[in-house]
Amino acid sequence: MLGCSQRALRDDIERRLHGRAELTLRESGGGAVLTGPWLVSVSVVLPPEHPWVCNGLIDSYRHLGQLHVEVLKAFGVAARALPPQELPRTHEAGAVSTVGWACFGGLSPWELVNAEGRKLVGLAQRRCRSGVLLVAGTLVGPVDWALLCDAMGHPQHEPLLRHGTVSAQEMASCPIGPERFAAVLTQWLERELLTSRA
Amino acid sequence: MTGITLSPDAWKDIDPATEALLDKWLVAEGDTVRAGQTLANVVLVKANQDIVAPDDGRVEKILVPAGETFARGKPIAVLKELP
Repeated sequence: MLGCSQRALRDDIERRLHGRAELTLRESGGGAVLTGPWLVSVSVVLPPEHPWVCNGLIDSYRHLGQLHVEVLKAFGVAARALPPQELPRTHEAGAVSTVGWACFGGLSPWELVNAEGRKLVGLAQRRCRSGVLLVAGTLVGPVDWALLCDAMGHPQHEPLLRHGTVSAQEMASCPIGPERFAAVLTQWLERELLTSRA
Repeated sequence: MTGITLSPDAWKDIDPATEALLDKWLVAEGDTVRAGQTLANVVLVKANQDIVAPDDGRVEKILVPAGETFARGKPIAVLKELP
């Protein structure tokens, strides 16, 4: 799945995929992801005046990121949402390597990382006058980074993505099924959104 | 003439060095547009958002083509208001 600004890459990627995966384009920004049972995604549409999204686009990521911290904690996974001031600067010496074309290849405000800074939840959004679409994707299991990198034409980036990310399954003490994670995430979202609307 | 920009609200709390990407133009130079009409989609910190016409007018010149980035406050196009 490509981010909205990657649509020009479609033909080249289709050719490299050789039918190994279906290619889709999402409405929100950010980089490419490989979807499957290893990735639990959630989309939340809110009115522009909702407390989660009314304080600008950076703050709009905060609530969904912090909710994911709590949900992962319920599964025994310790992660934290990165505030903007803690983001690594790509132009600074010693900065982490980034893979700009991949959602999980870099860090944006309030995305989730483990203690070593490896990313496990990515965020994106689509803002328009009628509402805001917030999107999050959680790595619950190991990803075939080689397939994604090959499809995108950057096979050399596979080690960067593998070492720069971590799945909830790797961090948990017990197995985490995508269906179970999605169900708990939905429960938390319903509870939090009803509360914040009050 | 009015310079069309991404509103200052959209740049709230964003690092001054960060630029937005002009993802897609929905109008062309010479098009007549209405106030509130969506002119372009831009991406800023993984957020896709619309830029709308501030007034009725004609798109006189596009300053930032699709696929290029632009900084805070930079006009992406010039709108000539209709009399």
